[in-house]
Amino acid sequence: MDENPLPVSAMTDIQGDEEWRRLSPIAILYFAASAIRVLAGNFVYLIPAFAVSYKQITDNPGMTIPIIGGLFSLLLLYALLSYYFYQFRLAQDSVEIRAGVFAKKHINLPFSRIQNITLEQPIYYRVTNYVCLQLDTAGSAKQEAKIVAMPLDAGNALKQHILAKKDEQSGIIDSDISSETPIESQEQVLNRRSIKDLIIHGITNNRVWIILGAAAPFYDNISGSVASYLQSIGIDLEQILSSQTIAWWQFGLYALSLAMIIMLLLTLFSVAGSILVFYGFTLSKTHDRYVRRSGLLTRQEVSMKLSRLQVVVRKQDWLDRLLGRINLQLEQNNSGVKGANELANTNKILVPSVKEAECKLLIEDAFPGNNLSTTEFTAISKRFLLRYYLLWVFPVFTFLISVALYQARYTELIVVLVMTILICILIYMRWLRWGYAFDDEFIYVRKGMLGVDYYCFPIHKVQQTQFKQSVLMKRRGLATCRLLLASGGITIPFISQASCHKLINNSLYKVESEKQSWM
Amino acid sequence: MTFSNTYIETESLPALEDMPTQALSGKYRPTNIILTIAIFGLLAIIMTAIRFQPLFTLNEGLVVAYPVGMAVCLTLGLLISVYHYFADPLKRYALREQDISFTSGLFFRKTICQPILRIQHIEVQRGPIERLVGLASLQVFSAGGATHTFEIPGLEEELAQQMRQFILDHKDTQSHG
Repeated sequence: MDENPLPVSAMTDIQGDEEWRRLSPIAILYFAASAIRVLAGNFVYLIPAFAVSYKQITDNPGMTIPIIGGLFSLLLLYALLSYYFYQFRLAQDSVEIRAGVFAKKHINLPFSRIQNITLEQPIYYRVTNYVCLQLDTAGSAKQEAKIVAMPLDAGNALKQHILAKKDEQSGIIDSDISSETPIESQEQVLNRRSIKDLIIHGITNNRVWIILGAAAPFYDNISGSVASYLQSIGIDLEQILSSQTIAWWQFGLYALSLAMIIMLLLTLFSVAGSILVFYGFTLSKTHDRYVRRSGLLTRQEVSMKLSRLQVVVRKQDWLDRLLGRINLQLEQNNSGVKGANELANTNKILVPSVKEAECKLLIEDAFPGNNLSTTEFTAISKRFLLRYYLLWVFPVFTFLISVALYQARYTELIVVLVMTILICILIYMRWLRWGYAFDDEFIYVRKGMLGVDYYCFPIHKVQQTQFKQSVLMKRRGLATCRLLLASGGITIPFISQASCHKLINNSLYKVESEKQSWM
Repeated sequence: MTFSNTYIETESLPALEDMPTQALSGKYRPTNIILTIAIFGLLAIIMTAIRFQPLFTLNEGLVVAYPVGMAVCLTLGLLISVYHYFADPLKRYALREQDISFTSGLFFRKTICQPILRIQHIEVQRGPIERLVGLASLQVFSAGGATHTFEIPGLEEELAQQMRQFILDHKDTQSHG
């Protein structure tokens, strides 16, 4: 058994290497950090325990030092053991990993089943220039493998090696790439984001959770210290909140300014979150894949094979529209991934807050020959409005109004009226936004409410078609069309029955006659 | 590769809406109705047995709830049976050279069409009741995800196996896995 860490030059003799390897000792840091992360995540459950023993702790402050010391050494022991039990082996065309302190796991992953390779560089790997290599498979989320620490060069080399192997196995031999030229050098940067772009992105998009999520264990402390700070500068919250002492308009002003301050804080947090995740963003393209690199503390590298791209989504919320910015999403196969958040999700590449012209270029690059920017959209039927107004808004509205009238509550009556009008306007906006278009190669869908999102996908990527029609819709010659892609379903409601048939028959014909691969 | 992009008259494309469809097995509807009656009947019997057993005295609230429970149980059983009576004959399927379709729904009609080329894997499912009456369900999975599994229920077992074999033998499933 090889007890030495993998040397940087090890990648040269990677083929036919059958020895179990241990990681570089720097991985201990990684294991410790992930243990801390798990602990922090479970901190919420420990709060009652702290609350109970709080008095005892304050009574004997001397106790805290051994407790913290004990916790720390447990953590260190865990990290050391994790390091000790983690071994991996690179065979001709598969990677094997043995890991786990209590629950042992043995992963055997053939290169051909690897869908995605993500290089991640947490901040504590920066100095030594190590990376963490995450290998995703198409199937379950459980089967994913992580090679926790590798020198950057070796990581890159292994990545190229796996990708090359994959291509070989699937019979795709690219003549452009000779084995001597490193693929890296052929990379072409398509887009970069400056700090200014990221600030705009933070303002227009809610990225607060990035910070809030990290700060979750400290909420209690924060609210406590904020209250004591306010008190120290002469504002007593409790006195203000017992509103008998002050006039209602004063109270209203307080509430308003408090809301403004909170909004401002949230925006600042959101900007910080945006910079944290997208700092130094580059989107580049190699001969067959997109590569996204970004991150302030943890640098992440996500790559996506061009042929895997299913749909391009051009998202614009109302604030984005005012500032003329667009969030562009490149989405690939989405099955098997559950509850992953938007940014950590390696199945999507998000290009944050790009300008109109850049967005057009990127979409043109992703799907050459598409007419998203010039195409004319067909609106959906007005009966869409009728269904939502009559089936949902009207019954609820009549019920609430009659209750309010019966009980003679006129303030509530006005609130219900205003709310109903607002909801009706929103439904109207929804209808206004919804539209579709198609040409020989692509289907385009426009939808949204206050903002507008455009979806564009090649017809031959369709996985399944659905034709939906209620009895009433049939009488009016209307139907709803749903097209399933590997990245998810796309619905076009309330279009004419003839167009729906045409869309579906056309898609099926294209899929079945051209027999192009979807991945 | 030679590139061709000849114009195709849209009217001449094979149309999903004009395709003849086939009914499910004749056993499907009776099985569903009998099963519904059996389940709700059993619930009603259990409630009645508990209500009138001589072993212990029931809580006052349970005695009051008994007629309500019976009413809910019987109405639900009846409604679901009636639904099966009308909706089950409307479930139809069709197998074409290149795809497989399934139509269902009483008020909200829905036709799903799954190109065979895009099928990832395929299963014939037989639950205990289905085994008893000799029926099977054909399940087809695409890359669209597990929530969009295409299923044809109520097929004769032999037919389900034949359809499975047809799809497996299809040259597209063989070349694309």
